[in-house]
Amino acid sequence: MQARLARCESRRYGAGMVRFENVGMRYGAGPEVLRDVTFVLEAGSFTFLTGLSGAGKTTLLKLIDMTEPPSRGLVTLFGRDLSVTRRSEFPALRRRIGVVFQDFRLLSHLSAFDNVALPLRIAGKRESEYAQDVQELLSWVGLGDRMQAKPATLSGGEQQRIAIARAVVARPDLLIADEPTGNVDSEIGQRLIRLFAELNRLGTTVLIATHDRSLIEDMRAREMRLVDGRLVELRTARA
Amino acid sequence: MSLSAPGSILPREKGAAPLDVVIAVMAFLAALALGASMVAQRTAQGWQSGLAGRLTVQIVPPAMASAQDLAHEADAALGLLRATPGIAHAEILNDQQTQALVAPWIGTGAVLAELPLPRLIDATLVPGTAVDTANLAHALKQAAPHSELDDHSRWIARLSGLAQGITWSAYAILFLIAVATAAAVSFATRAGLDAHHDMVELLHQMGARPGFIARAFERHYFLSTLGAALVGASLAAIFFALVGSLESAGIEAVPFLPPLGLKIPEVAWLVLVPAISGLIALATARLSVLAALRKIY
Repeated sequence: MQARLARCESRRYGAGMVRFENVGMRYGAGPEVLRDVTFVLEAGSFTFLTGLSGAGKTTLLKLIDMTEPPSRGLVTLFGRDLSVTRRSEFPALRRRIGVVFQDFRLLSHLSAFDNVALPLRIAGKRESEYAQDVQELLSWVGLGDRMQAKPATLSGGEQQRIAIARAVVARPDLLIADEPTGNVDSEIGQRLIRLFAELNRLGTTVLIATHDRSLIEDMRAREMRLVDGRLVELRTARA
Repeated sequence: MSLSAPGSILPREKGAAPLDVVIAVMAFLAALALGASMVAQRTAQGWQSGLAGRLTVQIVPPAMASAQDLAHEADAALGLLRATPGIAHAEILNDQQTQALVAPWIGTGAVLAELPLPRLIDATLVPGTAVDTANLAHALKQAAPHSELDDHSRWIARLSGLAQGITWSAYAILFLIAVATAAAVSFATRAGLDAHHDMVELLHQMGARPGFIARAFERHYFLSTLGAALVGASLAAIFFALVGSLESAGIEAVPFLPPLGLKIPEVAWLVLVPAISGLIALATARLSVLAALRKIY
């Protein structure tokens, strides 16, 4: 099933769902934080992005979610060359991406329920259409009894689970996560990774930036490592 | 469980109270201007309807003229008026009636009896008919050389001009208040965008279209402006009601001015003030947000 979905998505997106060719990135006049990065994320794949702090993992994710444009090179997303894609089309592309931010970025004045429901509201759905899905997802991440809690009253781990629920609630085509298990204990971390794997099984392409070796070993997924802004392919999914 | 409308995404800003106060004060002033224009129009219409369809002939007493001469000319003028087609009724005002007309300015003392007051003839036209006042004035001069015909057209034109002046002044004030409201909301919206920069950036990254973010702001400012303007307009309505109740009690709130109290249908027009204020805020917030978002989209 997974292989068939992947083949279908590959045909749909041609040369991969995400494609980087000789991408370089620098902030302002500073040094290049990414250098000649080239890789392809096939549709339906599950990939870990690893590297030391400051290696450029977060920057690479920002290029994928179109927060920053590359300084040079070619970035293709869902088969679209972003350098020639009209900016008015970016919102539609962004809605196909679920992002787990390293700093969670929850809206402090909204409840856990409303934070998770945000992508669905942006997509134009009504509460009656998504309320059950949001409740089930919050229960699944162990926060079924904290739906009306504001982020400030939740622990770091609970906030992280809300951020993850928000990223996956709209069943994105592509999920990118920046250290998604950094603030949760190993049991919850494993549970969240199983959630990512389940989404991946349903067809979502997953890219997780992490330094947690235990997660990587358990999943035996593809691993790309950034070393001083350069990408090193360490392991393919079949290794 | 939660609100679905985008507006609820935006929290109420701390420090928003000053904007509410400014909006409430402007709505109060706008409602006063609107009410004043309605009072002016109503008063002018009342005066005009009182004067239109009437003619006044005065027999100005010449020097050394006797009362009999004056009475003779008045009778001749009255006869001519009654014989003129289109005049329904004509009557000479007696001395008491004439003195009553000038009493508010001169008083009712002995001096009034010694003043050479003109004889006045009040004539009422048949409704819907027109009288050739030029010919009538000429005929009156023949019959009563010291007569002067006044069809009140000069006063009606002046009153009409005054009412129009007050009305247009009120519209100008309303326009200025609308501009000031738009400027205040535009300023507040931009401040709100700065204050909620992180939230706007997050929505942007999650794929929200500019219209979605703009709706959140426009709804927010529409509701807050509507509420504040409702308070201001209500205070103005209370002001007019108080003035009206004073006038009903026989107390002249503002000397020399017509009654300032509003009638109930006129008070209903004050509802327009919060409604239009809210719409101005909605449009201003939307345009301000879309202009600001154009830089990041």
